[in-house]
Amino acid sequence: MPQVTLTVNGKRHTVAVEGRTLLVEVLREKLGLTGTHIGCDTSQCGACVVHVNGDSVKSCTMLALQAEGAEVTTIEGLAKPDGTLHPMQEMFREHHALQCGYCTPGMVMSAIDLVAKHPEGLTEREIREGLDGNLCRCTGYHNIVKAVAAAWPLMHQKAMPQAAE
Amino acid sequence: MDAWLRPTSLADALAALAAGPRVILAGGTDLYPSHVARPLPGPILDITALPDLRRIEAHPGYWRIPCLATWSDVIGADLPALFDGLRAAARQVGGVQVQNAGTVIGNLCNASPAADGIPNLLALDATVELASRAGTRHLGVADFVQGNRRTARRPDELAVALRIPRPAGPALGVFEKLGARRYLVISITMVAVVAEFDPAGRIRRARVAVGACGPRALRLPGLEAALAGRRPEPDLVTPDLAPLAPIDDVRASAGYRLQATEELLRRALGALGTSRARAA
Repeated sequence: MPQVTLTVNGKRHTVAVEGRTLLVEVLREKLGLTGTHIGCDTSQCGACVVHVNGDSVKSCTMLALQAEGAEVTTIEGLAKPDGTLHPMQEMFREHHALQCGYCTPGMVMSAIDLVAKHPEGLTEREIREGLDGNLCRCTGYHNIVKAVAAAWPLMHQKAMPQAAE
Repeated sequence: MDAWLRPTSLADALAALAAGPRVILAGGTDLYPSHVARPLPGPILDITALPDLRRIEAHPGYWRIPCLATWSDVIGADLPALFDGLRAAARQVGGVQVQNAGTVIGNLCNASPAADGIPNLLALDATVELASRAGTRHLGVADFVQGNRRTARRPDELAVALRIPRPAGPALGVFEKLGARRYLVISITMVAVVAEFDPAGRIRRARVAVGACGPRALRLPGLEAALAGRRPEPDLVTPDLAPLAPIDDVRASAGYRLQATEELLRRALGALGTSRARAA
């Protein structure tokens, strides 16, 4: 069986996989990182979003062998070892940006990528559009958008130039 | 034959294809969702480790979009207004994560009748660079896409890049798409227009392509001829939709598709006029 070597949350792993094994299956079943969820299985809902080499991707569409040599970050890799949450996680808690929590790991991973890639600031509309690959059936998105806007100044360590209206 | 190859040079990739047919895998955003809980469709050639095939580059006579350029790369590239339609399509393909993984050429080679990239590539007059051990050939996108998920790519060939010719004068692109909702949706119909303008703001030449209204996206030569020499306005012409052959399916009826296409054509011409006025 072929093998894939990848770094997940800073730790190197070599895992035997089939050609059809998905990245999300490696994360959940081989590495026990069950924080990454599977929702739709067809790349629509975004529950499975992780970062691969700094970009957010849907791990239910990526075949594991394509992650050879890649740096992967999952929801488990965000908090510091002492338990301090990532600012995005903190703001999701602060603004109650979740109800059932199923979409939350993917939502947080997408939101971090979105904020990191917009150092010029984000409007409410841009936040909503930036999260269009993540579905939430509980919140109506309102508090998620608030949390993302609130995390921007924390992640960039300055006031947001273009305030989300 | 190895079930999975991930070559790190183009020569190795072409050698693998010369040895026998393989499923070519780039972003994977079409391959996996169509094979959920089923075996992969054949031995895989994963091209994502090939070097120097990601950056979109401007050359003297053309732009080159290589086979690992993603939709996000199109959005982020420094490209002129000629590419506004392709850029708009890039922003509407899947969500951000699909745009980060999926490639423009993968969208073309997958050759879905509803591929958002293809009408734009037709309107841009793009050609496909096909490499094999036997050499390189260039095919226009209209000749490359032969039908529903059928292309002219030989099994030993790899589509390594797209070339988009530089127009002689100022040119603008627009893209209009209709889906059942705004995001994460497969198109019911879509329209891409690229127009080159003369100094007086009249259309010198237009290329108009419609997708999801037949087994493959098509240009509308009748409408293109009617647009030449005129200023773009929504109610300019009653388009001749005869080349289109839409089907009834779960997403829409054929009649609705044609009606919506006419409306999208009007909107596209209107948008072209607006962005032309802004550019002038």
